[in-house]
Amino acid sequence: MSDLRLDATQLDRYSRHVIMDEIGPEGQQRLLDASVLVVGAGGLGSPAIQYLAAAGVGRLGIVDDDVVERSNLQRQIVHGDDDVGRPKVESAADYVTALNPDIDVEPHETRITAANVADLVDEYDVVLDASDNFATRYLLNDHCVLTGTALSHGAIYRFEGQVTFFTNERSSKAADEDADAPPCYRCIFPEAPEPGTVPDCATTGVLGVLPGTVGCIQATEVVKYILGKGEVLEGRLLMYDAMDMTFETVDVLANPSCPVCSDDPEIESVEDVAYEGSCQISAD
Amino acid sequence: MELELRFFATFRDAVGEKERVETFDDGSTVGDVLAALEDRYEGLEGQLLTDEDDRVTIRSQLSVLKNGRDVTHMEGPETELDGGDRLSVFPPVAGGGERPE
Repeated sequence: MSDLRLDATQLDRYSRHVIMDEIGPEGQQRLLDASVLVVGAGGLGSPAIQYLAAAGVGRLGIVDDDVVERSNLQRQIVHGDDDVGRPKVESAADYVTALNPDIDVEPHETRITAANVADLVDEYDVVLDASDNFATRYLLNDHCVLTGTALSHGAIYRFEGQVTFFTNERSSKAADEDADAPPCYRCIFPEAPEPGTVPDCATTGVLGVLPGTVGCIQATEVVKYILGKGEVLEGRLLMYDAMDMTFETVDVLANPSCPVCSDDPEIESVEDVAYEGSCQISAD
Repeated sequence: MELELRFFATFRDAVGEKERVETFDDGSTVGDVLAALEDRYEGLEGQLLTDEDDRVTIRSQLSVLKNGRDVTHMEGPETELDGGDRLSVFPPVAGGGERPE
């Protein structure tokens, strides 16, 4: 059991958590002792940052190298009109501090690359992928698999969302021996689409509230994972369709010959991969 | 035989519908069905299958599930289908924010 240090203000702030048997003061202390890195302070990152901060996740890292644009405000609700032109990480950090001064918020105004991924990710317990591009998604997957770091995945397209969760616990892999071993991102999507073949939000548009729903589900999974309660979306891909208002989960399995999460992986370091184009192993 | 087909994201745009029941020759494999879909829908042409060393494979950027299970973990394009099976086809999706121009 963690060392309980909740003060009177915290007992008040988190009282609706503390009174539940599934969380209690011990669970709240776990949240306060936890650290999460949110990669992307955009549509998915905004609601995730808000709810993780409100829940009392003690240390919250935010990575983004963009500045706030007016066209972001239709869905990136951690930023306000006065923030247009500011770095997103600054705007998001201000939001967190105003909402919950309990939180140590750590803005990282940079793009995650193979060169800095270890320095950024290894300081945190869980990574929440709220990025907007395949290079970052494959890089985070590979690094988190190689280091055994839990990774929350969410992605959006117009009126649809995809969510899943990778605990990256090696004991849960061993796909050769376990036909039901859970996958990593590369098991589900072995190769990134060629650049330009999958349009982004700027090209296709996106329903503003859609990333709100998806980012909230990602935050839910991270909170459950930290608490060690419930069943996270591991081995299941949740498909959300806002137009039909349907949620479907499909079972997804590890690829026994996955280049990164199998027992004999081709990728032993993120340096082995060219994270542009198809995100495959470098030829040289 | 009739199959229940489900399309997600960009494939839904190409087909124009989320869900369709279509008829295929009895004994069709996943590869046969995907080839037929490429013929039937202009927007799917070249999007589902690829020729590698004279061998037809499913394009590696997409996931094809038979009754919720990825066929790459079964027999790939040779995976056999029965009437009433549900085939889901979806691409990876990257969106999460918006990358400025």
